Amino acid sequence: MVAPNALVGKVNEILVQAIGEPLRYLVNWGRLYSLWPVHVETACCSIEFGATHGPRFDPERFGLLEAFGSLRQCDLLIVFGTVTRKFAPRLKMIYDQMPEPKWVIAMGACAITGGLYFDSYNVLPGIDDLMPVDVYIPGCPPRPESVLQALIMLQEKIRKSKLR
Amino acid sequence: MTSVARSLPFPTEVIVGDKLSISIGPQHPGSGHFRIIVVLEGDIVSEAIPDPGYVHRGAEKMCEFRNFVQNVPMLERTTLPDANGIIFPYILAVEELMGIQAPPRAQYLRIISAELNRIVSHLYWLGIYGVFLGHSTMFLWPMGDRELFMDLIQTVGGTRVTPSYIIPGGARNDLPDNFKDKALKAFGYFERRLKEYDRIFFSNPLVLKRSQGVGVLKRSEAIALGITGPNLRGSGLKSDTRKDEPYSMYETLDFDIPSYPDGDCWARGMVRFHELYWSMQIIKQAVEKMPSGPFRSRLPLLTARAPAGEAVARTEAARGCMSYYVVSDGTSKPYRVRVSVPSFRNMIGIPYLLKGGHLADVPAIYWSLDYWPVEADK
Repeated sequence: MVAPNALVGKVNEILVQAIGEPLRYLVNWGRLYSLWPVHVETACCSIEFGATHGPRFDPERFGLLEAFGSLRQCDLLIVFGTVTRKFAPRLKMIYDQMPEPKWVIAMGACAITGGLYFDSYNVLPGIDDLMPVDVYIPGCPPRPESVLQALIMLQEKIRKSKLR
Repeated sequence: MTSVARSLPFPTEVIVGDKLSISIGPQHPGSGHFRIIVVLEGDIVSEAIPDPGYVHRGAEKMCEFRNFVQNVPMLERTTLPDANGIIFPYILAVEELMGIQAPPRAQYLRIISAELNRIVSHLYWLGIYGVFLGHSTMFLWPMGDRELFMDLIQTVGGTRVTPSYIIPGGARNDLPDNFKDKALKAFGYFERRLKEYDRIFFSNPLVLKRSQGVGVLKRSEAIALGITGPNLRGSGLKSDTRKDEPYSMYETLDFDIPSYPDGDCWARGMVRFHELYWSMQIIKQAVEKMPSGPFRSRLPLLTARAPAGEAVARTEAARGCMSYYVVSDGTSKPYRVRVSVPSFRNMIGIPYLLKGGHLADVPAIYWSLDYWPVEADK
């Protein structure tokens, strides 16, 4: 005869296998096609982000919505290039204000390593010290196609991620 | 009130007496990488303090650690929408220092690239201005038509926004054979589109209500504050470096300087709207008048030295009068590069224009100046 506790554990295991995986897939599926980016511009890559939102590239067909929502409803932070010493505390504040789950895309060489401004006295060498980054987009500035590719990579990451 | 707003690191909302101080930006859909501390009395702005410096990357100091040619790609990143226009005076100053004369064909190639960038920059401005006035169609139309001119810049320079096309001694490469046909096709389409732009946006009663009589800058005030570019011409002064001090073959081209006497947001927009047309006319004439011959006097060496001395050059970029002051001490690196940008001088007008206006007009007035914070902060 099986002990009651063991039976409960068994049922729990069966339930997790039966519901947990479809539930994780469903929640992630809902999240990955409605990404709301924060409207915060740090430097000149924002012009290519503006071009990405134009009719030729149109990221809404992939599920990236327009960047005009409130910070409290956003789940995607795209850092457009250079982060200076004056802007860094502000960017950290913006990241902390966003609700979980949240993802970060570092766009442009400046957001990755400092880029062209690696030896400047006022530029941070990348944003890794400020926040965890999910996808890096190389380029100075990256083309709109690269932004769309990064978006698809981020969606793959969200699709495979654990339920949070 | 001013002291209270300035003493706090991040003043978000401060109430003193019957005045409310709020911070618009740097995280705000209507500001960009820039902050305006606005002191309100009810709905009326009683004081506006601009707070630039969020994108200060030290471009002037970094110029001293790179040689003259390496500075070209670095300096053009101060204004990506207008990359060729912003680097133009630096090249003229370096050529004056080094004693290089660019061949006539290169002079026209420079005009073509700079005017293409002027169109691209104005279209980007128009798209964002449409968003700021709540006109979403005016975001999508200019952004879509902008890609036509982006394609032309790619045809000329190779990349979308950072071509580094103008270099000391001439242009980086010659025009490809298909440029003329491609450009004329794009211009024919875009000249028809301009009429539609006028119908849907500049003659739209709602846009007129929101922009006419808003943020009025009188002619005398504009001169006293040192406003430049389309903002100065929107206040009724026909001042343009391309006409006043012609450089690089602009004197051989026939074009008009649009100017409006009103000095409000609508007039500043109309000046840029007409400049789109005149830039296309300039490119058409330049392609026709361009002589055959070399497009570069000689390939500039990375270690090219300039004799000791100083040089100043001034051109008309998309946002206004742009100038560089370059000092050389005889080495391959400049001793000092002073960048004088139009955006910073236009920012001086922001406190005067916003004062006495409504809070809802702040984005419209702010963006009607075409202020690009990356350029102003350098």
